[in-house]
Amino acid sequence: MVAGAWFLPRAELDRLVQSLRAGGREVIAPTVGEGAIVLSGVETADELPHGWGVEVAPGRATLVKRAAERVFDQPPGPTSWKRWTFPPRVDQIEWIGANGERLPQPVAAQPKPMAFLGVRACEIAALAVQDRVLAAGPVVDADYVARRKDNLIVAVECAVAGETCFCSTMGTGPEVTGGFDVALSELDDGFLIRVGSTAGSALVDGLGLAPVSDVQQAAARRAMAALRDQLGPPPPTDGLPERLVAAVDSPRWAEIAQRCLACANCTLVCPTCFCTSVGQRSELDGQGATSERRWDSCFTLDFARVAGGNFRTRVEDRYRQWLTHKFGTWWSQFGTSGCVGCGRCITWCPVGIDVRAEIMAVAGLPAPEAVPPVAPVVSVASAASVESVALAPGERVMPWASARVVSKTSETADVVTLRLATDDPGLLAGQPGQFVMAALPALAAPPVSVSRFHPDGLELTVRAAGAATRAICNLERGATVGLRGPVGRGWPVDLAEGRDVLIVTGGIGLAPLRPLIDELLRRRDRSARLHLAYGARTPGDRLYKAELDRLAAGGEIEISQTVDRAGPEWLGRVGVVTQVIDRAFCSCDRTIAFICGPERMMEATVKVLHERGVPDERVFATLERHMDCGVGLCGHCQLGRFFVCKDGPVFSLAELGPAFGREGL
Amino acid sequence: MAGVVHRPRLGVVKFASCDGCQLTLLDLEDQLLDVAERFEIVEFAEATSRRSKGPFDILLVEGSISTPEQAEEIVRLRREATLLVTIGACATAGGIQALRNLADHDAFRRAVYPRPGLIESLPRSTPVSEYVAVDAELYGCPISGAQLLELLTALTVGRRPQLPDEAVCLECKRRGAVCVLVAGAQSCLGPVTRTGCGALCPVFGRGCYGCFGPREAANSESLAAWFAGDGASDKEIRGLFAQFNVNAPAFRRIVEAGRDGEGSVR
Repeated sequence: MVAGAWFLPRAELDRLVQSLRAGGREVIAPTVGEGAIVLSGVETADELPHGWGVEVAPGRATLVKRAAERVFDQPPGPTSWKRWTFPPRVDQIEWIGANGERLPQPVAAQPKPMAFLGVRACEIAALAVQDRVLAAGPVVDADYVARRKDNLIVAVECAVAGETCFCSTMGTGPEVTGGFDVALSELDDGFLIRVGSTAGSALVDGLGLAPVSDVQQAAARRAMAALRDQLGPPPPTDGLPERLVAAVDSPRWAEIAQRCLACANCTLVCPTCFCTSVGQRSELDGQGATSERRWDSCFTLDFARVAGGNFRTRVEDRYRQWLTHKFGTWWSQFGTSGCVGCGRCITWCPVGIDVRAEIMAVAGLPAPEAVPPVAPVVSVASAASVESVALAPGERVMPWASARVVSKTSETADVVTLRLATDDPGLLAGQPGQFVMAALPALAAPPVSVSRFHPDGLELTVRAAGAATRAICNLERGATVGLRGPVGRGWPVDLAEGRDVLIVTGGIGLAPLRPLIDELLRRRDRSARLHLAYGARTPGDRLYKAELDRLAAGGEIEISQTVDRAGPEWLGRVGVVTQVIDRAFCSCDRTIAFICGPERMMEATVKVLHERGVPDERVFATLERHMDCGVGLCGHCQLGRFFVCKDGPVFSLAELGPAFGREGL
Repeated sequence: MAGVVHRPRLGVVKFASCDGCQLTLLDLEDQLLDVAERFEIVEFAEATSRRSKGPFDILLVEGSISTPEQAEEIVRLRREATLLVTIGACATAGGIQALRNLADHDAFRRAVYPRPGLIESLPRSTPVSEYVAVDAELYGCPISGAQLLELLTALTVGRRPQLPDEAVCLECKRRGAVCVLVAGAQSCLGPVTRTGCGALCPVFGRGCYGCFGPREAANSESLAAWFAGDGASDKEIRGLFAQFNVNAPAFRRIVEAGRDGEGSVR
């Protein structure tokens, strides 16, 4: 007899299912459906895949009936548990109230309590990875936390591995070592049951089972040893994350793109991929409006689109983003690999691209010598690295608040500044360089830089670049707008102390710099020279014209302005903004520079600053990326190891390194 | 209707097509009254005997341009329409009738009609966008009612309609359908086909026919090579791509690659 382990005879499996269902719990378990083993709600043990196996290979899965009536002898199927903890479509915000007075109301998840029956070691690791991504902060996904927190996990020890399985090389399996309430090992005549939590203990106590025998325990051990043998030893993978990230120019990316369909299947079957987009559902009457979070993928073209451009148009860029994130930069972001070795992305790739081979080719590591029935590849994680983290408390959810338009200034033909009033303490606690997500009913919520902070509100300077920003520009006095923020890391104002400050910007890029200028002027005695170099397409495209004239006359800040095309009324300089810097700052050994503008303009500026000897540590740029959440959860804004929304949008060039100005990242 | 100053004038017209796409508007049974309230339907031969030559705030155009008269008429209609939206595979890609683009048009004419001289048709069936600028396109054979409603809703709300050009696969996975290509070894065009149908065929266990046409970055060559490796013949593969969107470049490439025994789709 073995302490702490019990035996459930095969014929009594339904007793376990029924006790899981007690208290109204929904039981999700593997079932046979549509030619594969899929996870689905079950009411009895009869619905489990008794006697079914699956043969998998890259791009192929075949359901096979086996002689033995075993239940859990399959590799992971196309469904993963995230379908229940992180569903493909979730309502996020409903707009309540009448016209002009409509407020964003978060939709709270009200999940039924759930038991997951048949969770593999790799899948326990995957849940832990998503816990780190979505529930460890600084801002948590409230919907995920609500669905995830009370899951009862019934793990299953694998007895067979598929050809695409590589858990042992990712350090997540095959043994189930933690993160469960109850764990089953399937024997020929029944199930060995271990307990992993108080809830699991109560469950097993209720079943009144006999302790497991030494013979049964030995059989379970033998099965696991055989599985280990089948998986084989992992190949050498020294420094894999670093090698992948460094291989940004590998010719392999273009070669993979010849085969890759960019169909996104790999990311949607992946149990850890978490990228989403927010879409709008609205009624024809223009009244009802709900915003909905949907599974998205870094393989879609829209994923990296911004007004007027796209950061990853080529398929090779998209594939590189996925692979280097999953196996490389995930480590920097979350302290773990994004891959758990379940093999789904290999099995369910419609053209059978094997991520194990691609990683090795890109990283320049030797491929495994012989391909055994199971081809192990990469070992970059230790089991400890994906231990479940405690779910963060709900108060770290970044809420939506609202503000009212109190005045509106037309800056240029298509740019307005809205002065907003609010008494929301969160909205008032911003720093220069931070931004807000601005939402109106039935429209996307774009990120907008805060262009001035007031004790009772803030200003937003918005260019009508698309439907949502146009609607924001069209708001009239008294209208309300939904805001989330201010978010992001702003300008490091303190670093300007005692230095010459050079601010270089173009067009609407001045907006996020205005609160910085406000702050530098407030503490004017703490910096040496202040110089603003401002370029615009035409004189009429300059923002804050009267304010700039006033500041220039005041003498506390030097202002050089230039335009690309002048009219008869313009007596100032004509030409690109870098020419202005050239003349303004000749000695740059004590200069700190803050820049914002189109990427081309920033690159040209950086070139001049380099020539002048300003070190990268003292050049700060604010970056633009597609953002659907603003708080590091939607995944769109990634640039290498950074989430531009929460790690930026302000970065020093030293932090960005070669990522700055690099196309396709 | 009180309170509404101006209802947008909506027109529905057709060229070479089967009328199935415009019937999608009539099939919006639950919303049809709302649509009729929001929009003034001034031209829609399938629904009303009231006729108009224009002007239109929104003009839905079905069908491909297949005859010289149609080529003239679409130019006239473009001048009458503020927003011109093409609907369906015929109007957006040339339709199934664009199969003739790959063959000798005159030979067809002589083979089919006793007096071919009476038939005036263009040698190629082409999308409307080859003749005039188009403001938006709804794909599909037929179009999706949900997408049509989204277009009309977006126009009323004043936003860009959400018509993603991603693969059918994303919707398949969101809906939890098992991949028929991987699990069923079926020749499914989902990975290279634009979404919008709600993954209708795969959800019922049938491979995608590609009726919404190629999505952006459609890598038809790679998919065709996979089908070939799975045992499909060149003829079968060409047949898959030579359907409602045969004239769309990403599909046509495959059809033409393996024609007349010259070259292979692989």
